[in-house]
Amino acid sequence: MNLPERPITVLIAALGGEGGGVMADWLMEAATASGYPAQATSIPGVAQRTGATTYYLEIFPAKKEQLNGKEPVLSLTPSPGNVDVMVASELVEAGRAMHNGFVSPGRTTLIASTHRIYATVEKMQMADGRFDSARVVEAARHLAKASVLFDMRSLAQESGTVINAVLFGAMAGSGVLPLSREACERAIRGAGRGAEASLRGFAAGYDIAARARPAPAEPAPPRRATELKEILALAVDRLKDYQDERYADLYQQRIKPFLGGDAKLAATVARHLALWMAYEDIIRVADLKTRASRFERVRREVGAKDGEPVVVIDYLKPGIEEFASVLPRFLGKRLVAWAERRGRLDAYNVGMHIKTSSLFGYLLVRSLAWMKPWRPRSYRYGEEQQLIERWLGLVAEAARRDAGLAFEVAECARLIKGYGETHRRGKANFLAIVDARVENPDTADPRAQAAAIRKAREAALADPEGKALGATLGKPVVWLRPLARS
Amino acid sequence: MERSFKQEVAKLKLGEGETFHGEGILAVTKALLQSGVAYVGGYQGAPVSHMMDVLNDARDILDELGIHVESNASEAGAAAMLGASINYPMRGAVTFKSTVGTNVASDALSNLASAGVLGGALIVLGEDYGEGSSIIQERSHAFAMKSQIWLLDPRPNLRKIVEMVEQGFELSEASSTPVMLELRIRACHVQGSFKTKRNQAPRLSKRTLIENPAFDPGRICLPPATYAQEKHKIDVRWPAAVRFIRERKLNETFAGDMRELGILCQGGLYNAVIRALQQLGFADAFGASRVPIYCMNVTYPLIPEEITEFCRDKASVLVVEEGQPAYIEEAVLAMLRRHEVDDVKVHGKDLLPMAGEYTGEVVFKGIARYLNHASAIEPIITLKKKAAELLGGLPQRPPGFCVGCPERPVFSAMKVLESEVGKIHMSADIGCHLFSTLPPFDLGNTVLGYGLGLASNSAIQPMFGRRTITMMGDGGFWHNGLTSGIANTVFNKNDGILVIMKNGYSSATGTQELPSSPQHSAHKAPDMSMERALEGIGVGWVKTVDNYKVGAVAKTLKEAMTTDYKGLKVIIADGECQLERQRKLRPLVAKQLSEGKRTVRVKYGVDEDTCTGDHSCIRLSGCPTLTIKDNPDPLRTDPVATVIDGCVGCGLCGENAHAAVLCPSFYRAEVIQNPSLWDRLVSKIL
Repeated sequence: MNLPERPITVLIAALGGEGGGVMADWLMEAATASGYPAQATSIPGVAQRTGATTYYLEIFPAKKEQLNGKEPVLSLTPSPGNVDVMVASELVEAGRAMHNGFVSPGRTTLIASTHRIYATVEKMQMADGRFDSARVVEAARHLAKASVLFDMRSLAQESGTVINAVLFGAMAGSGVLPLSREACERAIRGAGRGAEASLRGFAAGYDIAARARPAPAEPAPPRRATELKEILALAVDRLKDYQDERYADLYQQRIKPFLGGDAKLAATVARHLALWMAYEDIIRVADLKTRASRFERVRREVGAKDGEPVVVIDYLKPGIEEFASVLPRFLGKRLVAWAERRGRLDAYNVGMHIKTSSLFGYLLVRSLAWMKPWRPRSYRYGEEQQLIERWLGLVAEAARRDAGLAFEVAECARLIKGYGETHRRGKANFLAIVDARVENPDTADPRAQAAAIRKAREAALADPEGKALGATLGKPVVWLRPLARS
Repeated sequence: MERSFKQEVAKLKLGEGETFHGEGILAVTKALLQSGVAYVGGYQGAPVSHMMDVLNDARDILDELGIHVESNASEAGAAAMLGASINYPMRGAVTFKSTVGTNVASDALSNLASAGVLGGALIVLGEDYGEGSSIIQERSHAFAMKSQIWLLDPRPNLRKIVEMVEQGFELSEASSTPVMLELRIRACHVQGSFKTKRNQAPRLSKRTLIENPAFDPGRICLPPATYAQEKHKIDVRWPAAVRFIRERKLNETFAGDMRELGILCQGGLYNAVIRALQQLGFADAFGASRVPIYCMNVTYPLIPEEITEFCRDKASVLVVEEGQPAYIEEAVLAMLRRHEVDDVKVHGKDLLPMAGEYTGEVVFKGIARYLNHASAIEPIITLKKKAAELLGGLPQRPPGFCVGCPERPVFSAMKVLESEVGKIHMSADIGCHLFSTLPPFDLGNTVLGYGLGLASNSAIQPMFGRRTITMMGDGGFWHNGLTSGIANTVFNKNDGILVIMKNGYSSATGTQELPSSPQHSAHKAPDMSMERALEGIGVGWVKTVDNYKVGAVAKTLKEAMTTDYKGLKVIIADGECQLERQRKLRPLVAKQLSEGKRTVRVKYGVDEDTCTGDHSCIRLSGCPTLTIKDNPDPLRTDPVATVIDGCVGCGLCGENAHAAVLCPSFYRAEVIQNPSLWDRLVSKIL
């Protein structure tokens, strides 16, 4: 009889701790029990500490008794263009496999989960450093002979198991392995512990890959308000909730001059203005933290079952700034000026663990929220409104010259966010850009100026130490940094 | 231990003619028993960590045979243990990783090789090279050459590996020379099968004791014996080894019809060579190749007769030798010249890269070029180019601290301290804590070797106006840090700050036990304390901190930076390895829950409506479960922080939020499972 010319090769890309090794064991067991010569290998080592790692298997699709004592020579490493089944437990790992040439149009079936586990370098960025998932899906369309892509993590969670069971099922269901469903299931059962849950996950993955049931729907893209009308409606609601009708009216007055002009500019100003006016002070934080909807959300996030009480403890560490922010303007201003002069702005923060779910804790935090009517007289309010007016003035002035330039000035509001030092840093960056690129530009050409502002803004978001922005502006950006913390 | 082999070790009992299925490392252990080994030991390190785990889990089986097992204090200790085979006809085997392990072991290895052995001495080396490696990239070959230790590099096939272990002992005895068996990462973990033999009880063992001590002045490494030993190596041991290797046909020649060509390869690369030939249409799936192959299962010493015989009358040969320098290729060139086989063109590093792992792709490209099939490489280049165009640069995903790792908060504290006092020079050490050098921490300026953190700081500290910091793990402490670092610093009256990560295990290698582990197997001594050792050495400033209290850790670090105390300041950063902790906790919690007992599950979270998406918290942590998600606010674009499933509730998020005064978005949730009546009542109030 004719023997196969080559083994079936399977490369598995996984992250440490995801059970890739267990899946390799299942495959090996199923292949061996089916009478096929097979070999599996891996590079566990230190990569198993949360890093990207791979497992590689070769299965020779002819029973041992047909080989008359001959043994196939199986390779320990995959080679590009020579992989039959590429399995990835996460989307960017599928991308990495393609990048390394392990997915080829003539040969490779790609089986991968579409969920993302963000790498540290993606999530530590100050703005949005996430890799665009669509690129991986698009690349798979060009590079794979066939692909089975769906969110296997959510399916695993539904089945009460881990992702490797779903992946194994998808592999078996896609028909690319020379292994029967029964052989695969027997291998899972033989491995013992957790077999029932694994079998559920296996069945779900199998059915989807075999098109016996539809893949779970991909999560809807996040709702983003882009249309001016929608932004205005959201903004007015937000500010009524944040303060009152009058404050919402102030918003509408402020945005009015922009409504007749460039639509993109108007939308951007409307969005940033709403966020800025609803700045996060302790009154706002206290308000948000003591809403019934918040406790419901916490229950959901921590996966508490009905009848399981959840104790919520908040980590608050207010200091001079927070205290000053609710003082009358003249007092707050003096206090902050004194603290800044002495370098003691962060010296008196009081770390508190408040049990917000208890009656006492709740009342303590809620009482701060009750200060809402006082807010317009507070120091922080005055400071914020002053800067908002200044920003709006700069945007309006730029709009008279060029809508593109005004857009870049408006976008600078993005830099101001967060609390404490983060907020101080953002504000310092904002002011530095305003000073060096908006008010005192080194070019008269509005386009060149717009580009320079964009570059500076991107630099401000490149690193938290202000190094990139300092280099871009040609002078260091200084903000008050905490001196005594512990 | 991270991985238990308790069930798998049953395979070590297989008898004559049975079939073993399993991993390379376990197969090697079985081969040791089949060879009648009398003592085994080693030091953990990937890719042979599991061999130590197997040996420890197989103690009962080994005891039955009278075999002595030891978890040596270091690779040097392991190599020195092989000294038992110098005077007594006992077979011994030790294992450690190469090259760092071999570096540490060198002193003992040189002396062992000079004295020569009576009983077979085998060193199982995990060649930690290429993808998956965690160390500097060097090869073991140099050690074999400089000390004259034979180097085996078997075809990565369990049957061959087992055979080479058995033959290795015989070779060692036939030539009075220790033997190294080199296994690449993937070979250590390869799953396969082989026919087993019966285990042999050693002739001398814990059950059949040595009666009389042997004394042979010729075996002592002291002049004048050392001069005689060197001569003996060349005049007697080398020819004996060459004779043995030839007679036993340890190297393999595979004939092929394209006789004008030939490939000489290291045994470990044979499968890659065959696969490349298959892909190019020069071999079938079973290894029948049209190009003749000389497969060196022994890469040191080389056998001139075999090599010249193989190369004679060929137009050209290709040497497939991984790594650099190209010892084998150069030796082949010299050998052919010396034996006047001058017409053969020798290829090697001209067609294959000088440095880096010989993966399937690399070997394929080299052999394609050798066989004038360079066009076969084109599709690979095109494919990768297209993928790069479609994908652009992908985010790297190096290994990092586990969820809830107790070492992470120490570096968070150091970051907090840095924002206060400026950048700090940190001398790093080997261990999981070396992940501090990666984002988001980027802490650690040098790493010089296991346990050598403090020693590597010796000439740094005096040159700095303010103090620098040194890291060391408890593994490194016991390996040699106690002497090379701590004793040295005290002795030389140096100033300095040493942070010892006391996580209780050799965690990076698979959480093996250390002398100061919190609990011990029955066969290890309990309660060897680092604190008492420090006291004994005379370190006058020792503080212990709870790692998760970031603020307190930062404060203690600052105190060490600023105190007037001259001399070594040691901070013991105490926090049990979370992998081990969870391994112990999980069954306990499951039991509690099933018994209906009140159990509190802790998880941290982020309020999505107060998080503004700056991600400062992530830059201070890097925990896999502290990540980001789409901003639920339609007016905002930057993703918000979130804590996903898998959070073990270590509390670092909250501590960081406090210590660095980050933001008020973090909360701690305590889910009360099987609540008491009181819990329910209290929860009803709100």
